[in-house]
Amino acid sequence: MLCRLGRCLPCAALLLLTVPVCAAVDAPAPSSSPDAPAPSAPAPSGTGAPPAIEQLVGDKNNWGMAAKDYANTRYSELDQINASNVSQLQVAWMFSLGPARGQEAAPLAIDGVVYVVAPYAGPNPNQVFALDLASGDLKWSYAPKPNAAAAGIACCDVVSRGLAYDKGKIFLNTLDGYSVAIDAATGKELWHTRLGDINKGETITMAPVVVKGKVLVGNSGGEYGARGWLAAVDENSGKILWRAYSTGPDSEVLIGSDFKAPYAWMSGKDMGVKSWPPDKWKVGGGNAWGWISYDPELNLIYYGTGNPGAWNHETRPGDNLWSCAIFARNPDTGMAKWAYQIGPHDLWDYDEINENVLVDLPLNNQVRKVLIHPGRNGYMYVLDRATGEVLSADAFDTVNTISSIDLKSGRPVLNDSLTPHVGRTVRNVCPASPGAKDWQPSAWSPRTKLLYVPHQHLCMNFLTGDVGYIAGTPYVGAEVDMFSGPGGHRGEFMAWNPVEKKKVWAITEQLPVWSGALVTKGDIVFYGTMDRWFKAVDANSGKVLWQFRAGSGFIGQPTTFAGADGRQYVAIMSGVGGWSGAIAVAKIDPRVRNGALGFTGAMQDLPAYTAGGATLLVFALPTNKRDTADIAAPPK
Amino acid sequence: MPAHFPRSPVRITLLALGIATGLAIGSLSGSAQEGPALGTSKNDGGGAPAQNDAPSPDRLIDVPMVNLTPGAVDVRPKLAIPNLDADAAQRGLQYFTNFNCVGCHMPNGGGGMGPALSFRPFIYGDRPENIYLSIHQGRPNGMPAWGTVIPEKLIWDLVAYVRNMSQAPAQEWGTTTSKTSPAIEQVPKEFKPATAQPWNYTQKFSSGQAPNP
Repeated sequence: MLCRLGRCLPCAALLLLTVPVCAAVDAPAPSSSPDAPAPSAPAPSGTGAPPAIEQLVGDKNNWGMAAKDYANTRYSELDQINASNVSQLQVAWMFSLGPARGQEAAPLAIDGVVYVVAPYAGPNPNQVFALDLASGDLKWSYAPKPNAAAAGIACCDVVSRGLAYDKGKIFLNTLDGYSVAIDAATGKELWHTRLGDINKGETITMAPVVVKGKVLVGNSGGEYGARGWLAAVDENSGKILWRAYSTGPDSEVLIGSDFKAPYAWMSGKDMGVKSWPPDKWKVGGGNAWGWISYDPELNLIYYGTGNPGAWNHETRPGDNLWSCAIFARNPDTGMAKWAYQIGPHDLWDYDEINENVLVDLPLNNQVRKVLIHPGRNGYMYVLDRATGEVLSADAFDTVNTISSIDLKSGRPVLNDSLTPHVGRTVRNVCPASPGAKDWQPSAWSPRTKLLYVPHQHLCMNFLTGDVGYIAGTPYVGAEVDMFSGPGGHRGEFMAWNPVEKKKVWAITEQLPVWSGALVTKGDIVFYGTMDRWFKAVDANSGKVLWQFRAGSGFIGQPTTFAGADGRQYVAIMSGVGGWSGAIAVAKIDPRVRNGALGFTGAMQDLPAYTAGGATLLVFALPTNKRDTADIAAPPK
Repeated sequence: MPAHFPRSPVRITLLALGIATGLAIGSLSGSAQEGPALGTSKNDGGGAPAQNDAPSPDRLIDVPMVNLTPGAVDVRPKLAIPNLDADAAQRGLQYFTNFNCVGCHMPNGGGGMGPALSFRPFIYGDRPENIYLSIHQGRPNGMPAWGTVIPEKLIWDLVAYVRNMSQAPAQEWGTTTSKTSPAIEQVPKEFKPATAQPWNYTQKFSSGQAPNP
């Protein structure tokens, strides 16, 4: 019985706890067997049917997708943990996933079960684990058929950014290019579909997103000249319903008569071909390896595309559409409604795959439906999400590559003195190639109206060289050497006000902040650092209220959810790695600064702070009756 | 049976690419020593024609990857290894870029998607014949099999370069990592034009700050 495990406290007994989940706990009776798949938290529907993602995104007790909701806010309505008690936060239980490589994935929690996915390493790469939230018991695991060679096609460690869920199914992307559906209750494989080919330089690292029964998956491979795409896979059959390329003719980019670019310079037929030298769009990157948000009212999904191949820009004269761009598409058909290229003819590997947070903002006495995009190029973009028009774009870190964004044309105004040419080193370029902010997702609080942004603070020296395309091998042509930005620190966690277009507070971090952010109704912001601290910060003031020293550095995504016991839990994976942290987990020489695509220079002392790890940490407040040791005790 | 000469379209295409890019870069960098890729023996004063020295496949197949053998006997075959001289290393440096080795192993072999080659030991052995076989056959976890797409002689030139760049100065038997160690780093490539001997140029370790060559 679940109650034997020490977590099934009646709501009335939770004297300190005021989570409204308790009000609804009367519905489903706890299962009599710990192995039974019955939900230990109320299903939002109130029936026994597995919940749909459309319900989960609005349900505070569950965390059903990596970004929490379709707007990608990473905001939780839970407020049991708040400024008055967060200092008492304790580990409820832990779980080791095995391979000590970069743990970037978001733990999901649906109806009392936590789902996590491991990096692509060890005997069971990309292994998925389902764990009972109340006890920490392992319910099942699933390991996809491995293909070790895929590790050689991953630019930036062998990470996975997480799983997706809908109606009783867990969706997994594998590094070697498969999409897999797993029965959330049993761990049984339901279907697998091959979407990518490592021999073409394609991998998959992003967390899929399910919209209207379609699993949306994009490829990685911008450092291999892999042509970017986003695919929609039927969640029941595994059949590919549509695939939209980022480059090439309109028929393959899925641009039709309904499409309208927000600016004249990116309008016209087949711009994904015409903005490239002949055939270069075929190896032009623009991969969709980041986040997808969705506005059900406009029926549009939003996602960014990555850098063009190769990094050496002189191999590809032209604007290189639609690399470094944001697409808005109809999820039913894949057809683009608009697209906006943030970085025409990218010079520096400024992928623009970062999250697009959908909010309604009062701008000039008018409430506008916008998306906020913290750009890798160091500018905070606010776009009209119906049209793609840029409403504002302001630098949030040291930027000398772009002097401003021209709001009339939507084009960046470049600092031409820095333009690289083959054989000439350009010095002190800011931000460095990972940008002022990389994939690590920010969080938005509707209470404070602030965006909480984890990011790095790096500059670089940059030298381009000749490069030829060989399928399945890197297509880069640049030698990079990164280092700390002005002030000597390498990271920052900041709160940004998008209406006033300014930084409200910031915490300087010695190392890049490569973890995601989480904000709650308790006005607490969570993030982790690469030197092993997991921090809880006052959302209003930026004051650090609590911190926990873990086994390995943090590059994961914190999430929060409630159990049937009425407790609010906070989860994150500890395990350094990723592009910035690969030096601590792979055979990379800290003395050779140009390694790891130049990140070695900035991270060469990381191994003096942390080694690799693979631990899921689940935190909660102590109950007033039992300590956490009891909570972690095995069933009798 | 392994192919020794380019006969697949893939190999010919790659070879053309490698040579074309190599010549272009070679002329840019002013090197007069860029070797032709195939079938030319080259006498450079002391070095024997390398092509003739290459061990045959039936000898290479006996090369162990490990240093553990049943019976505790030395089973390593005595091989005639091609001349891995400075010219070979210089050509290898060029091929390292031409065949995108640099994309994974990074400039001066610092490591990234592929493991570092700037220090030894190597995962799959650091003797010349081990390195040759790793390139020829590929290795698990992402090393492609190059043997059927680029000529044997080019691979030996790569071996010469890889051997050169892996000569990190040995300070101790193991490796100490601390806030004050290592003491040195290489002069990064943007400050030091391509060299087959990158460890000849070092500076104080920068701990993530801007380099000061």
